[in-house]
Amino acid sequence: MELRAKPPKRAIWSGSIAVGLVNVPVKLYPMIREKSFSFRMLHSRDNSPIKFKRVCSRCGEEVPLEQVVKGYEVRKGEFVVFEEEELEAIKPASSRRIALEKFVDLASVDPIYFHTSYILTPDKSEEAYALLLHVLQRTGKAGAGRLTLRSKEYPVLVHPYRGALIATTLHYPHEVVDPRDMEELQRLKEPPEEELELAATIVDALSGEFDLSSYRDEYLEKLQELINRKLAGEVVVVEEAEKEEVKSLMEALRKTVEELKAKQE
Amino acid sequence: MELTRVKFTNLSKELFPGITKARVIEYYIKVAPKMLPYLKDRAVVMHRFPDGIEKGGFFEKDAPPHAPEWVRTFRRYSRHAKREIRYVVCNNLDTLLWLANLASIEINVTLSRVDDFERPDLVLIDIDPQNGFGEAREVALELKDVLSQLGLRCYVKTSGIRGLHVLIPIAREYSFSDTRAFAHELARIARREKVKIDYAQNAVAKTMAAPYSLRPLEGAPVSTPLAWEELEKGLSPAEFNINTVAERKDPWKGFFKPQRLIAHGAQG
Repeated sequence: MELRAKPPKRAIWSGSIAVGLVNVPVKLYPMIREKSFSFRMLHSRDNSPIKFKRVCSRCGEEVPLEQVVKGYEVRKGEFVVFEEEELEAIKPASSRRIALEKFVDLASVDPIYFHTSYILTPDKSEEAYALLLHVLQRTGKAGAGRLTLRSKEYPVLVHPYRGALIATTLHYPHEVVDPRDMEELQRLKEPPEEELELAATIVDALSGEFDLSSYRDEYLEKLQELINRKLAGEVVVVEEAEKEEVKSLMEALRKTVEELKAKQE
Repeated sequence: MELTRVKFTNLSKELFPGITKARVIEYYIKVAPKMLPYLKDRAVVMHRFPDGIEKGGFFEKDAPPHAPEWVRTFRRYSRHAKREIRYVVCNNLDTLLWLANLASIEINVTLSRVDDFERPDLVLIDIDPQNGFGEAREVALELKDVLSQLGLRCYVKTSGIRGLHVLIPIAREYSFSDTRAFAHELARIARREKVKIDYAQNAVAKTMAAPYSLRPLEGAPVSTPLAWEELEKGLSPAEFNINTVAERKDPWKGFFKPQRLIAHGAQG
């Protein structure tokens, strides 16, 4: 099948894959580029984009970033506060290194655990990369290890795919719900045999190759169409406030407001 | 605290050659403390130039329908337009800045106040020389002499780059036909060749460029209140523009003390 997402411009991680004493320096690029659509919130009165402010829940004042610390809510309204250094200190080794501890058959891993995939590219040392790629291709194995991304450590499988090494992160078993735990499913009865046979013939008749390319996100397409129509006709033009100019106006304004206030008093 | 309720838009648009809307707004911000008292309670006629003075502008008497609710307005039936006009009344900084943001480069006001619209509190004599500013200056100085002989204070401002406006603040005891006749008489006394002395603007709902209003002319001149001494010494109106006027002190002392027009022949 033809994969058509645009290659990403920037690596999101760089480090190395370690196999025993051998290091393979790599860069990690997103491979799954989910297409979604997001609206901006606008003020209905004049279509200006709505901004969010970081506001203190107690005094109501806006809080500058340098006054923000991280806290974990232990009980409602009770926090344990962390310094950035404290969090930095406990970052796992896998934040810079994927150590492959074991080699397994990819097919033996239940796909329900697959989280997302990244493309690994060689970072300077192409020979080491090529060696790892080819050995995995020849043996048909995937290397299993850990990878930390955005302060979360994932189980990861490094495996060949279309001439590249791919890192596929996995969910932990404790993150996946066992459907057998769903109460509604425990009352299911077995259907009568004749119904089952009839249903099976229908399924047989409809069986075929699975062709993903025949699936399209129809909602997204309709939205795009709607956007195009709006672009052709009624466009909502937003005038971006020019920041620098506004700033100097606000300075002049502050003086004038003070002067007018002084006059009133 | 929000400094203004006005949301400034299109700030980098050039309203005069080389002068952006941001600078026009900045000018009105700076001049506001001096200017607002002269706008207070008067009906405003906007002279808007959304695409700059080179593209031409239009006069707008009505407050735009999308005017914010905090903009004060004054409704009056216009026999000329055969409908009610909803004028803007600019009594505060926000309204002034809102006008500036509408690219109303020039802000014109009536010679009466909205609470007694038919009775003027200002007499205006508009001096428009055909040749040079020097002629306008001579006429204005002569008018000043005549008026001070009548015991009347009068005030002078540049109208733009050529002419002058002489204003006489009066008690609201007279009709526009009284003030028009009075101005006519003054115009007759100071008459010169090649100088147009316009007294006909002393009429209900007619306007003048407000003191400190920018004029839609090259160089962004300002209709600037002057001290008589400045005019006596001599000056060039083009010196008074968007770059220079905001820093000046307001020279019009005692402007808001009304005077009675006693010793003129037009009243009776």
